Amino acid sequence: MTTLTNILHAALTGSIGQHGEVAHAAAGAAPVQIAANGPWYAVLIPVFAIAAFLLCALCAAFKVKSKLPAWITVACLAASCGVSASVYAWVSSHGPAITYVFDWIHVVWGKDKGQSFVANFAFYLDTLTCLWMLFVTGLATLIALYASEYMSHDVGQGYNRFFAAFSLFVFSMACLVMADNFILLYLGWEGVGLCSYLLIGYFYKKPSAVAAAKKAFIVNRIGDLFLALGIMLCFVHFGTVEYKAVFAGVEEYIKHFEAGEFNKIPPVAQWIAYLLMGGAFGKSAQLPLYVWLPDAMEGPTPVSALIHAATMVTAGVFLIARTYPIFMISQYALHSVAWVGALTALLAATIGMAQFDIKRIMAYSTVSQLGYMFAGLGVMTSVGAAAHVFTHAFFKAMLFLSCGAVMHGFAGQLDLRKLSGVGSMPGWRIVGIAMLVGCLNLAGFPIITAGFWSKDAILGGAFANPHAQSIGWILLLTAGLTAYYTFRVYFRVFVGPQHFEPGDELHAHDDHGHDHAHAGHDHGHDGGHQSHSHDKAAASHDFHPHAPGWAINTVLAILAISAFVVILPLKLIPGELGWVGQMVEGSTARAVGHMEHAKFFGFDAHQAMMVVSSVVGLAGIAVAFVLHYAGRTSAATSRADALLPAFGPLANWAQHKWYVDEFYDFLIRKPLLVLAHLFHIIDQYLVDGLVDAAGYLPRAIGRLLRPSQSGELHGYALGMAGGVAALLLIVFLATTSW
Amino acid sequence: MMLFSLILAPLASAFLVALGPAAMARRTALAGTAVTFFAACAALYLFNWSAPGYQFEQSLPWLQQVGINLSVGVDSVAMMLIALTALLGPICVQSSKTAITDRVKTYYSWLLVLQAAMTGVFASRDLILFYICFEFTLAPMFVLISLYGSTNRRKAAIKFFLYTFTGSVIALAGFVYVAWFSSRLTPGIVNAADPSLLHEFPQLGKWTFDLATLEQAARLMSPAKQGWVLLALLAGFAVKVPLFPVHTWLPLAHTEAPTAGSVILAGVLLKLGTYAIYRFALPFCPVAIYEHAPLISVLCIVGILYGGLICWVQTDVKKLVAYSSVAHLGFCILGMMALNNTGISGSILYMINHGLSTGALFLLIGMIYERYHTRSMKELGGIAAKMPIWATFMVFFTMASVGLPGLNGFVSEFLCILGAFQASSAWGSPTATLPNGLPNAGLWGSAGAAHPGSTLGSLGPWFAAVAGIGMIVAAIYLLYMVGKVVWGPLVEPHGHDSHGGHGGHGESESHSVLPTDLCAREIGVLVPLAVLCVALGVYPKPALDALSGPVSDTVRVVQTARSNATIPADSVKEAAR
Amino acid sequence: MIQVLQTLAQSGFPDRMHAATLSHFLLVSALMFVIGLIGFLTRRNLIIMFLCTELMFQAAGIALVAFGRYHLDFSGQTFVIFVLTVAAAEAAMALALVVLLFRRRESLNAEEWKELRG
Repeated sequence: MTTLTNILHAALTGSIGQHGEVAHAAAGAAPVQIAANGPWYAVLIPVFAIAAFLLCALCAAFKVKSKLPAWITVACLAASCGVSASVYAWVSSHGPAITYVFDWIHVVWGKDKGQSFVANFAFYLDTLTCLWMLFVTGLATLIALYASEYMSHDVGQGYNRFFAAFSLFVFSMACLVMADNFILLYLGWEGVGLCSYLLIGYFYKKPSAVAAAKKAFIVNRIGDLFLALGIMLCFVHFGTVEYKAVFAGVEEYIKHFEAGEFNKIPPVAQWIAYLLMGGAFGKSAQLPLYVWLPDAMEGPTPVSALIHAATMVTAGVFLIARTYPIFMISQYALHSVAWVGALTALLAATIGMAQFDIKRIMAYSTVSQLGYMFAGLGVMTSVGAAAHVFTHAFFKAMLFLSCGAVMHGFAGQLDLRKLSGVGSMPGWRIVGIAMLVGCLNLAGFPIITAGFWSKDAILGGAFANPHAQSIGWILLLTAGLTAYYTFRVYFRVFVGPQHFEPGDELHAHDDHGHDHAHAGHDHGHDGGHQSHSHDKAAASHDFHPHAPGWAINTVLAILAISAFVVILPLKLIPGELGWVGQMVEGSTARAVGHMEHAKFFGFDAHQAMMVVSSVVGLAGIAVAFVLHYAGRTSAATSRADALLPAFGPLANWAQHKWYVDEFYDFLIRKPLLVLAHLFHIIDQYLVDGLVDAAGYLPRAIGRLLRPSQSGELHGYALGMAGGVAALLLIVFLATTSW
Repeated sequence: MMLFSLILAPLASAFLVALGPAAMARRTALAGTAVTFFAACAALYLFNWSAPGYQFEQSLPWLQQVGINLSVGVDSVAMMLIALTALLGPICVQSSKTAITDRVKTYYSWLLVLQAAMTGVFASRDLILFYICFEFTLAPMFVLISLYGSTNRRKAAIKFFLYTFTGSVIALAGFVYVAWFSSRLTPGIVNAADPSLLHEFPQLGKWTFDLATLEQAARLMSPAKQGWVLLALLAGFAVKVPLFPVHTWLPLAHTEAPTAGSVILAGVLLKLGTYAIYRFALPFCPVAIYEHAPLISVLCIVGILYGGLICWVQTDVKKLVAYSSVAHLGFCILGMMALNNTGISGSILYMINHGLSTGALFLLIGMIYERYHTRSMKELGGIAAKMPIWATFMVFFTMASVGLPGLNGFVSEFLCILGAFQASSAWGSPTATLPNGLPNAGLWGSAGAAHPGSTLGSLGPWFAAVAGIGMIVAAIYLLYMVGKVVWGPLVEPHGHDSHGGHGGHGESESHSVLPTDLCAREIGVLVPLAVLCVALGVYPKPALDALSGPVSDTVRVVQTARSNATIPADSVKEAAR
Repeated sequence: MIQVLQTLAQSGFPDRMHAATLSHFLLVSALMFVIGLIGFLTRRNLIIMFLCTELMFQAAGIALVAFGRYHLDFSGQTFVIFVLTVAAAEAAMALALVVLLFRRRESLNAEEWKELRG
């Protein structure tokens, strides 16, 4: 809680004066001034995280069989969060600064610009960094607390490993966000990828988890390649990979951008943005690289909540926000970002509507919401995008954690056809409320939810941008779909008649059921037991869904409150989207340039959107209510089933994720595998065959001459006599003068 | 004396091992390698890292009639590789404790001889001494593979020996040609090129195999002659690296070699090839190498992708890692062919890093092999459940090999690719101007654009991009391996009980006394490598700083020779078209 | 022919042999050699073959002596004496070997032994 109050305190006291200055500067294309003497204690943010990692690793080495690693992690991450808050306080009073830690990669071959490749461990501290670090460390602390209970069945086994990777993730994320150069960002970028790999594959005995982890890493690597190439191009063009110098170099082009003269900006400089974009699409699960994120739900739920919903996947948004000037000087880059974002949002929403696994629905909704953020960046409302990142982090984490609580309590059950009325079961009240709050936010319930305001900013920005009207319509449609599928989950799982079938992870829960904090609760199996089917009877005979304990409930409660509370900094502080707006405007992510505002059917786009998106959101909720709540008597069926035939094969295709995985498998993986086999054969028989042939040549010659060695004495004698005769003949012929 | 002692210490211990009792063989060898290691540490300490030139130089007369001397000396590049060799020595000895129980005296003495020869390669400043040491690595390796390898060891050993030997004989011809060319130089020719040259290198025009003199002499060769010399040198060294079409001995030798043999092979022996290319091909034929850099780079890139994809379909873990060496060394040579500071620094760092991470991977596979007597991915799976410590190290070194930032592999791989990316004259030189006085535009940029981060060269972003795909492929095959062997449901070979093996291991039916997970000795072998991987990943600056001197010299040599040999505006013309 | 041979046998000194020139000796030597060679190539009996080699050997000896006389140089004759000694030793060795071979195969046929076939 202290962390949150810190944030608010800093927000309310420190940044208003700052905002005035920024508003002043935003008029022109003045360079972002940055001092070189940042607070030394900024380094503590990653240091605490890596310390937690090392301590957890030590716990693993000494086979600690208690919850010690969880408490270490929570304590260290809370400390990181505290430091983040104080760094924010420093930045809001002193302005942006760089904190240098130590030299990392130095290749120097001359004194001129571009004749040295320098990447230091140094941190670029501005308000954008602070915004990200605050919610990353804050959420990480809360989710670590949640995980301390959630992962308790693995104490002594994977518990140490889990928290080690968890802390390492926060370290990597800190490097990513706080980096003062692209290379350190890349370190964090791949570091979070590694942690994501380790944590998705946490249940490593499950082949599906291993496959998902591998997929995540490899798909991310594809994006990383583009990022790396972008960094290289940036180095070639600007002669440096440090943000400060790169942004200084971009300044010149910004003038051309503001004048709309893209032909005066070198194509090489414009290409940087396209390449960086590829990296962002990979990490943030955008088209065409989004396929890894839904599979990543194989990981433990806290991981899904923190890494695959709230923080890591927003790294792509952060990258674009951080390098916004580079994107602005690229003629089509932001348009591409907007289109990719919008299409991803729509596609993922259509898939999400047809899924039955509630965690997967949340995963697709994450992809979809990330699409929103990209669209926001693309239509030049970086503020809206950042605000959506911020609000989304809270409510999506909460949604995942609620789903996780359900999964935890019902032995891994995630099928919305097998759960009903969970919110009204005893002990599940907080989960139900948290879920409701999360769903309202995600659906964009008007006025009272933070999610509404941030989504509205993006929609408004899209319609206000004269080049992005169609993007606006796509996003508006998506907003309706989002509201529908979100409340589809809520109405089916958390309200309605009570019913449950436990999942198949009973064995994992049996051993800890006794010492659990919920021991005194009534387990609410009055509704559940009678409906158990016969084949499940053996397994569920003594199954009690255990309601979450104090840690999970506390975290959910805090998140539920904060999901509302984040409205305050958004709306109470003046300016577009208040505090977040100031944070973004005061950083490199500031959108510059003047653009005429488009109208939405003659109304101001922003004001019109408040009404239109409210209506669309409420309509989506209403449809979900009619189809999935009204008159529903069992868990398995609802009125929506009757509608399915109307969609023909579309619903089936959507449920199969539009066969994108199969398509990739057929188009990329299979051909590559065939090629690999082909290469292997070529290598064995052609390349190595030639070598063997060369080695065989002397032997072949020998074999040719072999018959001459008959082993018969007379043969040799004849040969010798013949040889002598021949020699004599030669000598005779040579010496005789003709 | 420092370098001679580094060569002689393992050699002397080899004799001690051979003469002493078999029971003491391993301990003697360990002591010998440990002494060498500490001597190498002392050398590292005494070495002046900020000075660019050669140090610890010493020369003993040998066959002076033809100018052959026992002359040694190291710059920071060679020093680092010697340190790597010295580090791997005790590690190899320690890792063989339970694996080698037969004919231990032969084994350890040849291992020590091998170490002496490898050190000699890096230390020598005389072409003949270099060549002798270079070839003398073959005999010990032949013995190690053919006596202590697995089933197909004879074929592997013979192929390894003949293949690399054939190549290096051609390289020797190249050496001799350069020496012959140098011996026939007249003072007139030399003075025409550079009047101070003869004063500095009085051996020019006489028979000599002194490296520094021949470097100067070789640069007086015409580009065509340089091309032939380059071809001869590459015939020898590309096989050793190995570059794409001449790599097939490597998977076989790696698969059949005993663990320590593989570690040495991957860790140091392959580096002999890359080191020799850096040490001889670059300064001897700078113009030719500049001209042919794209071709060699294409071979590297083919190796990266082709080798990487082949890794993916292997079922033998060791073979997979062996093929990954083909891919990795492709990056190494690609960086070198960039012929700029980033590329060559990355390339040299890559030599060290590949030795550490791939060496460790071979150690880890050896440890599994000792326990299960199989390396087939069909018979192994989910080892993490049984051997968590092993699994941790495996994942760690895999990540180092994949090139994860923060670990060693990243720094070198990134620099190599960056070097290739920068090295294109089509970027347009920031300093050069077109004949009409306008700033040089270049092919990739638009009018008026200068790219300060670009360097002259003949590669460019496409080379980097295609090579970069190799990074993805590396992730695919290494994670495929980890996914099969480390993660997943536990799979163990048939008839295996966890208390040692029933399967035959070569001739020696070794009933190992190994615990289920790694023992302290095995952890002790891996930890130094892991520590170095982290250290070189997090703080590579000392190494990069130390390399900057020699690398800058090499870059200067190549770029000067190029600008002297070619019309400076050829790339400009192409760009302006 | 017989007369010539008688003369050759009785005449002690070269000056009495003005009719027989070097070429005669060489002819004899060559004939002996060819006889030995033909014998060696056509016969299969090891002992006969051995004798044939001796014949060729002695043919070479005759040539040596003849040349020695022709050049008035004694080294040719000296050499022949050595050759004869060696030949004697060699004959002993060879016959011993033949005996051994015979014991192994109960035959003296040279075609019985083909161990050196490639």
